[in-house]
Amino acid sequence: MAGFEGFEKRLELHFFDDDPTTTTTTTTSTFHYLGLRKLDFHQCINQTLQAVQCTVVSALGNSFFDAYVLSESSLFVYPTKIIIKTCGTTQLLKSIQPLIFYAQTHLGFTLTSCRYTRGSFIFPSSQPFPHTSFKDEVSYLEDTLPTALHNRKASIMPSKSSSHAWHVFTATTAACDSCACDSCEHVPCNRDYYCNQPYTLEICMTDLDPILARKFFRRLGDGSTGDSAGKEMTEFTGIDEINEEALICDFAFDPCGYSMNGMHGEWYSTIHVTPEDGYSYASFECVGSTNNGMEIDVAHVLRKVIQIFRPGTMSVSTTSGGGDVWRRVASAVESMGLKRRSFAMDEFPEAGSVVFQTFTAIRRKSA
Amino acid sequence: MADEGLVIGCHTVDAWKQQLDNAQASNELVVVDFTASWCGPCRIMAPILEDLAKKMPDVRFLKVDVDELNSVAEEWNIEAMPTFLFLKQGQLLDKVVGAEKDQLQQTLTKHASS
Repeated sequence: MAGFEGFEKRLELHFFDDDPTTTTTTTTSTFHYLGLRKLDFHQCINQTLQAVQCTVVSALGNSFFDAYVLSESSLFVYPTKIIIKTCGTTQLLKSIQPLIFYAQTHLGFTLTSCRYTRGSFIFPSSQPFPHTSFKDEVSYLEDTLPTALHNRKASIMPSKSSSHAWHVFTATTAACDSCACDSCEHVPCNRDYYCNQPYTLEICMTDLDPILARKFFRRLGDGSTGDSAGKEMTEFTGIDEINEEALICDFAFDPCGYSMNGMHGEWYSTIHVTPEDGYSYASFECVGSTNNGMEIDVAHVLRKVIQIFRPGTMSVSTTSGGGDVWRRVASAVESMGLKRRSFAMDEFPEAGSVVFQTFTAIRRKSA
Repeated sequence: MADEGLVIGCHTVDAWKQQLDNAQASNELVVVDFTASWCGPCRIMAPILEDLAKKMPDVRFLKVDVDELNSVAEEWNIEAMPTFLFLKQGQLLDKVVGAEKDQLQQTLTKHASS
């Protein structure tokens, strides 16, 4: 009997705007480039995915982006980039075509790259098509994405366990220098190009400490809203200490479960928790940069996250914008009583180097 | 009378001050919606706030665009939108940050009855 699938599917779409003036708004004191923020993506997503999975439970916007907590997802809308992360059995890939169409018809934006990542499902047979297998997902992506995104790669990055892998698919219009095509935008396919890009840190944790996981259950008959219960969980668990300067949008589901988005300047973070024993899961994701004001203390973030969840197993996937951020990840995680069990590294169009590391707790009391 | 049950937009600092003075004089609870035209989450809350304003005519609902009334937004440390401030007699009673429908409703019920 399957439980709720915590492992998320993550989609990142980048667009090109050939006429920024049409979505720029000038008000009395400021100048704002809206881009994709001008559109109501949560409505578009609501229409394309099943409505019950995509009700907005919380949302917040600052000068840089809009962040939405949906009932089974988080959505981030920047002027030229959208990130959707969704758990459960949502058919995330089916939203690609409507999103592309929506951006094209309303704004004249064209898609320039697509990145799709996920871990391994705890309940793979519960997933609907095209999420029935990575092969099916890749096939669907190949058919759906515009041909202009011709530089593509799909790969399953392994760990020591066959039930725990990192699936990556990326596609972009930009091509390597080795490409003979004249109409492509050529970028050097080496690390120098990517080192100034922000990096993404995706953490997946399973076998959470049961006592800590209980903090993500609603108290019976508490009479509070999902919003205020969420706020309590954020403070009680110490999630607000991961980045004390971030503004947090949180929500506690009934009878259990928790989601949050954090916002600080251009920086975002997102946490989703499925606390039920037997299939407990928690994820943490954020961006970082080695420059441009989004530097984060990777060691601090990792130590706090591990302290909050005390997972039996965790995987961390990093993209290469942060240079050797994966080294800082490994040393921080190993300083918290977990041992690295596997390491995999591969290069992908648009994402650069992706490093996938898995760790397990050294000493665990048996259940 | 004409303003009852509506969200009143404050477009100048003087209008803003006037609204607060009026509320103070009649000892009304004031709910201020700080919004921005470039913020998607604000669009979600707009109709919800209008609806609440219709149902609670004894509460003064104000709307402030953070670009238009930049100084007011800074004065109240608005960092992200929508932010709802609950004021009475010029004092901050409570705050709801984000498009949180249930939280807004609950906070409103709490302060409107006191």
